[in-house]
Amino acid sequence: MARPAKPKTPPDPELGDIPDRLKELSSRLAQEKSTHAAQENPPRQYQGAGDYSKGYRLISEFVAGILVGAAVGYGLDKLFSTLPLFLIIFVLVGFAAGILNMSRAANRTSPTAEELAKMPKPTNDDEDK
Amino acid sequence: MANDPIHQFRIHDIAGPWNILGHEISFTNSALFMGITVATITGVLLLAARKRSLVPGRLQSVGEMWYGLVHNMVDNVLGKEGAKFFPLVFSLFSFVLVANLLGMFPYFFTVTSHVIVTASLALFVVLLVVVVGIVKHGLGWFKLFVPHGVPLAILPFISLIEIISFLSRPISLGLRLFGNMLAGHIVLKVFAGFVVSLLALGGVGILGSLAPMAMAVALTALEFLVAGLQAFVFAILTCVYLNDALHPSH
Repeated sequence: MARPAKPKTPPDPELGDIPDRLKELSSRLAQEKSTHAAQENPPRQYQGAGDYSKGYRLISEFVAGILVGAAVGYGLDKLFSTLPLFLIIFVLVGFAAGILNMSRAANRTSPTAEELAKMPKPTNDDEDK
Repeated sequence: MANDPIHQFRIHDIAGPWNILGHEISFTNSALFMGITVATITGVLLLAARKRSLVPGRLQSVGEMWYGLVHNMVDNVLGKEGAKFFPLVFSLFSFVLVANLLGMFPYFFTVTSHVIVTASLALFVVLLVVVVGIVKHGLGWFKLFVPHGVPLAILPFISLIEIISFLSRPISLGLRLFGNMLAGHIVLKVFAGFVVSLLALGGVGILGSLAPMAMAVALTALEFLVAGLQAFVFAILTCVYLNDALHPSH
């Protein structure tokens, strides 16, 4: 907490030390702002592992889509005993869902390297209001 | 014997099994380490909050940064109304983080390397999203699956894809954490095993064992990063999904 500089102007008889206090206040405000900015930009330290985990995240989104599609299709097949039909359809749908997931995750994660550095606003455009 | 990289994930009973309501229930090493995880979190945070000095000491700083990280995340992703979910996200983050980090101790069991644990956490999150969404928005929440601006002809197909995409969330959320922890620990163990086998050879082997040794050291560092990062990813995805419950329009 840097104290403000000693008063340069002689104390005004009417205002007293108000100019000084104003100066102190503005310097404190500036400091507050800078610490706040520093908080929003902490040093990025996870950079290397970030790439690794980003790739892993994308692939897991994709695989999860296919797995769920296959599971749903297999379940429906068991239900109606039409074995390969729904499995095939839903694996393909799951493939599409996986791609969708992956593109969403990629949109979400593009700031991920900075995610730790600067908690991103999510790319969801409905978030702010 | 000690070279079996899977051995570290074996679950064994510590007490029990007892027969409770027709189920075999026992206190396993996994349960023990979950207990240790919770005890560690509680203990550290209580200790950190004990002094409450204006200028935080070392431990208090840790507690404050821990809290601040999650608070920022919830605030940024969910906004003001997300404050209700802060305790949940904080608990999830802390549990995953501490469980991952405890797993880094030699001879400790890694709770999060079992898919049943991570899948339960992920399922819980996604079910919560469904419940909160329906409570908040009623049936209107299901508009999440009907993106607007899509031609009517392909809407059913798109909705189907959206539904599958939604269903795959718990899988990917749970699978990612589980996969990261499992793979990391196996790789670490394998490289450490190389060191032992090469040392046993003697002679050139001792020289050769330096390479996997260096690798194991580097991987340990990486694993610490992964432990923190995965906990973070788990928490932030929880927030992103909860955001869907609060604001379902895409």
